[in-house]
Amino acid sequence: MSSSFADALRAKSDAEIARLFAARPDLLSPVPTDLSALAARASSMPSILRSRDALNKFEFDILTAAVTLADPFTPLELLRITDKSAKTALATLEERALIYADGEKFRIPANVRTLIGENPAGLGPIATKKINIDALDSAPKGAIELLNKMVWGPPRGQVADVKKANPTITWLLENNFLIAFDSQTLLLPREVAMHLRGGKVFKELQLTAPIVKGATRKQKAVDLAAIANISTFIRWAEELAHHWSDEPPSALRSGGLGVRDLKRTAEHLGIDESCTAFVAEVLFLGGLIVIDTDDQILPTSAFDLWLTKGVEDRWQTLVTLWLETSRVAGLIGKGDSKSVAALGPELDRAGVAGLKRTLLGLLTTIPELDPEISSLQDRMKFDLPTRTNNDYLTWALREAEWLGITGQGAISSFGKSLISGSDLGVEAALPAPVDHILIQADNSAIAPGPLTIEIANEMGTLADIESRGGATVYRFTEGSIRRALDHGKTGESIRDFLKKTSRTAMPQPLEYLINDVAKRHGRLRVGHANSYIRCEDEGLIAQIIHDKNLEDLRLRKLAPQVLIADVEINELVARLREASYLPAVENGTGILISAPAIRRAKSRPRPPRVITENSAPTEKIIAAAVRALRAGEKATSHKPREVPRTTANETLDLLNQYIEEQASITIGYADSNGGVSNRLVDPLSISLGTLVARDHATGEIAQFRIPRITGVAPAQSAPGE
Amino acid sequence: MTDGPLIVQSDKTILLDVDHILSDECRRQIASFAELEKSPEHIHTYRLTPLGLWNARAAGLDAEHVIDTLLKYSRFAVPHALLVDIAETMSRYGRLRLEAHPVHGLTLVSHDPAVLKEVTRGKKIAPMLGLQIDDETIIVHPGQRGFLKQALLKLGWPAEDFAGYVDGEAHEISLNQDGWTIRKYQELAAEGFWHGGSGVVVLPCGAGKTIVGAAAMAHAKATTLILVTNTVAARQWRDELLKRTSLHEDEIGEYSGAKKEIRPVTIATYQVLTTRKKGVYAHLDLFDAIDWGLIIYDEVHLLPAPVFRFTADIQSRRRLGLTATLVREDGMEGEVFSLIGPKRYDVPWREIEQQGYIAPADCVEVRINLTDAERMHYATAEQEDRYRFCSTTETKRKVAIALAEKHKDEQVLIIGQYIDQLDALGAELGVPVIKGETPIKEREELFNLYRSGEIKCLVVSKVANFSIDLPDATIAIQVSGTFGSRQEEAQRLGRVLRPKADGRSARFYSLVARDTVDQDFAQNRQRFLAEQGYAYRIIDADDI
Repeated sequence: MSSSFADALRAKSDAEIARLFAARPDLLSPVPTDLSALAARASSMPSILRSRDALNKFEFDILTAAVTLADPFTPLELLRITDKSAKTALATLEERALIYADGEKFRIPANVRTLIGENPAGLGPIATKKINIDALDSAPKGAIELLNKMVWGPPRGQVADVKKANPTITWLLENNFLIAFDSQTLLLPREVAMHLRGGKVFKELQLTAPIVKGATRKQKAVDLAAIANISTFIRWAEELAHHWSDEPPSALRSGGLGVRDLKRTAEHLGIDESCTAFVAEVLFLGGLIVIDTDDQILPTSAFDLWLTKGVEDRWQTLVTLWLETSRVAGLIGKGDSKSVAALGPELDRAGVAGLKRTLLGLLTTIPELDPEISSLQDRMKFDLPTRTNNDYLTWALREAEWLGITGQGAISSFGKSLISGSDLGVEAALPAPVDHILIQADNSAIAPGPLTIEIANEMGTLADIESRGGATVYRFTEGSIRRALDHGKTGESIRDFLKKTSRTAMPQPLEYLINDVAKRHGRLRVGHANSYIRCEDEGLIAQIIHDKNLEDLRLRKLAPQVLIADVEINELVARLREASYLPAVENGTGILISAPAIRRAKSRPRPPRVITENSAPTEKIIAAAVRALRAGEKATSHKPREVPRTTANETLDLLNQYIEEQASITIGYADSNGGVSNRLVDPLSISLGTLVARDHATGEIAQFRIPRITGVAPAQSAPGE
Repeated sequence: MTDGPLIVQSDKTILLDVDHILSDECRRQIASFAELEKSPEHIHTYRLTPLGLWNARAAGLDAEHVIDTLLKYSRFAVPHALLVDIAETMSRYGRLRLEAHPVHGLTLVSHDPAVLKEVTRGKKIAPMLGLQIDDETIIVHPGQRGFLKQALLKLGWPAEDFAGYVDGEAHEISLNQDGWTIRKYQELAAEGFWHGGSGVVVLPCGAGKTIVGAAAMAHAKATTLILVTNTVAARQWRDELLKRTSLHEDEIGEYSGAKKEIRPVTIATYQVLTTRKKGVYAHLDLFDAIDWGLIIYDEVHLLPAPVFRFTADIQSRRRLGLTATLVREDGMEGEVFSLIGPKRYDVPWREIEQQGYIAPADCVEVRINLTDAERMHYATAEQEDRYRFCSTTETKRKVAIALAEKHKDEQVLIIGQYIDQLDALGAELGVPVIKGETPIKEREELFNLYRSGEIKCLVVSKVANFSIDLPDATIAIQVSGTFGSRQEEAQRLGRVLRPKADGRSARFYSLVARDTVDQDFAQNRQRFLAEQGYAYRIIDADDI
């Protein structure tokens, strides 16, 4: 009695079980109740699929080779058909419970066999009859060549008829070197193929991972480039959210961002569309932007919260989101019929997070190297054979560079720390914030480095940003100074701030500009009023404004002859009358409205619907009713005869014939629900797949679609007509 | 992180901190591949453009040098994408070459068959090409040399022109350095051009472009066609050449509206070249009249579009463009690049000024408060009349007169756009007015009187804007100008930038009506001046 999979798991130590969980984390959620449950889970197809995806090419090949052996097999058998280094792979496979021990021997769970398939490594079925391999030496001419065609798979061939095959095939069949699967199909038994393969499953077994080639970089330069990428990415993210806050794009009906909005945003940021889409995606992942209920895409309060953090925290938030997401931003704009939208529903791809982790893990093993893409692809195909997709890989690399995980293509110290979970050290590597600006005569100001937050905010109000990067170039314009004044600054406070903050003297034209705008700002005042009182007698105006009874109206004197009020006209008039004044109402052009206007509704007349009593029917209606009744009678009298079913062509022929004869006919007509009713009609003409005919039931000309006519028959001689 | 003087921005501008200890060294390095956009007092702005990078390639710089320079002087890390972009752009120049094939004549050659394939597929380009000889060589139809270069530049694959030049008819010309010597930068500019074969030399107004032209002629020692903006400029070229070179009067011809002389050195105006009779350009024969060895384009930034078309036809002759600025308001910088040639020499204005060749100018904007009646009139004026109205108000006239009176002992120029206004000013001040209808002869007389100091004040209209040497103007008063053209501003400033005998600084007044479109346009022009490093002041008219 062989031991079962569950028994094998039971035999494992705690440490071994722990390693199993570490290698196959999906087994942990939920935690299995007992080892039988674990065995069931570990041998379930989804779990095995996941586990297979985590194997590298060598391990996967060894597993495939093991599947070619019959259960149970010894390690030696496996090594013999592969390579002696397969020992380590065997240990890995056993640790991951893709192979389990049965005493000294090994077995393979049934689902693993199913997964690898019937023809592992292109090998055919195990022979049922005894084969004398030596007999091949005396095989007829051409036999070996024929077998060689099937050796490396697929292990089957076709003949016209096995019974009438040529002598060579017949000889091979007789000696069991081929198996007849059915009358036309021949199979090459596994033993024969293995013999012809020289006893090894694979032509070439790749034992070790290919070495990644590329250009060497200096870690210092890499980190510098990465820091530039990090600060650039953070700036893009901020800029994009701010831009969408100013001009929010509308989401497509199918969800996501339209191509035109993407293009517009890309132009605003000055980067290409794929990069813009990626920035938007990352913000979207973190909920920093969201598609609002009215379909506008807007930054959220989470964005404001994010803004308050330091660059390092901000970066970590975004990078972590990217690492974990299954959304592939690279797919945006791709797609055959219709392009895939950013922030849309079509970006999820399984296994991408794993691919990214493996890729970054690989990059940490090759520091100071900017890998060649083809070489990296080869390596990734070895490390992660089932999951590696060249496109996804290229995109992941590109995104890692944008994010600053890599710099100049090589992994940065920050990227390494991110993966190992240690202190990132981004903040320390960033250029120190500066607390001053340089103002120039052309009304521009330059912040020669990242500004402290307070100064940056202040400058953002005072001036427009002209160029970003390591430094920021601001420009003062009439508009920007006005904006600052609108925000409650005064000419004085602006000048003081600039004098304090600038390392260079304030140029005369700027000072002039500030004074000039400040002098003119607020000269025009705009306010809100609901009604006014106008009177040429200034004394009366004075009287009203001092009237105790009207105090609560809070009237304001705009000019000696004008008062304004917040209350509506009607109330103002009523209150003035109460206080024994004699106001008259004037319209917008000052014309007196003499009498109160008769009030009329502004909307169109629309009487409500009522349920009416039956009124006397008109003759016309009565006549129609009678006609319908008669027609019904007639139809009933014809009814017993079922209209025979005719094909569409026959129908057409018959109809044409009856149109010519001008005869009344009965047709079977299917309604839109599929119910067939008989209609008594006089056919008139056929056009566009439609029969035009007079329907006896209604007496009106009606159209019948020919495909719906199930059959045609002549009406029985109609006595009434 | 280094503490360099450069900050590379993500929009491809480069900021140079001029107060930094390395700024001089760094500026010399980056000037070769980035275009100076602004040079105010503290931070200069350069821009990386494809044309600028290709100019650098043409000068023999490679992408590695450019990137190394940026990295070396940069204060902060430079975005990798930007470096990649630079390398990409620069690698495009010279992948295609125009060469003279011994058998097939003019050919387009590339060692990159893919590029060749890409460009030959272009709809505009295919008709210019003939048979493909091999993978790397295609015959170019004769006469398409210029047009092909234009079209390739538009596609982003500028071709390097190695097809050579004809020597032209030899003619002995040498510099006659008697009582004067050529300045170092003028010599370098001429040499830079000569080694490049064809191209543009950028020198500020008053830096002696004529002498660079003369030096180039001395290199070529061949018949020369000089194209200038107008007749007055043509006469000045002639006078300069007579003074600075071995040429005699009978060797120099003028080809203008008035005269049609063709001599070994012929000076023609753009206007006569672009004159059409019955829809045909009547004077194109000039280009073939003599086997020219050199063609000089004065003020290349003003080159009218038809001249580009003629120029495309004469690509086998050496061409020298002279200008104060490569910036063209019509955006045709690319045409200059492909048809005249890459930039061969460039000196920023301030640079030359600091060397003492140009007097520093003091720019003053005078803000004028219109009277209430004028403001009312302005507010009710039609949109198209507004600018004219606010530039020619009575108040403005009074201020202009007041300024002219204030400086009555100095050489004053009053510049304006509207003839009525200028006439009124001339009449009131009792000084001559030079405008479009003033005969050339009279203009020259007046200019001579002005130079000699017999006339202290002149009123000039737009026609006097370009290429007229007024060496002793110390005060310029601009009363009205064309809508905010930066070039015009630069030209006008050029009037007063000429060196003064006693080292006095010149002053440039520009009169602006407050709260009108005049002020908006003035802002553009002033920004340009400030960006060129000329600090300006704004004063109120009442303060005069």
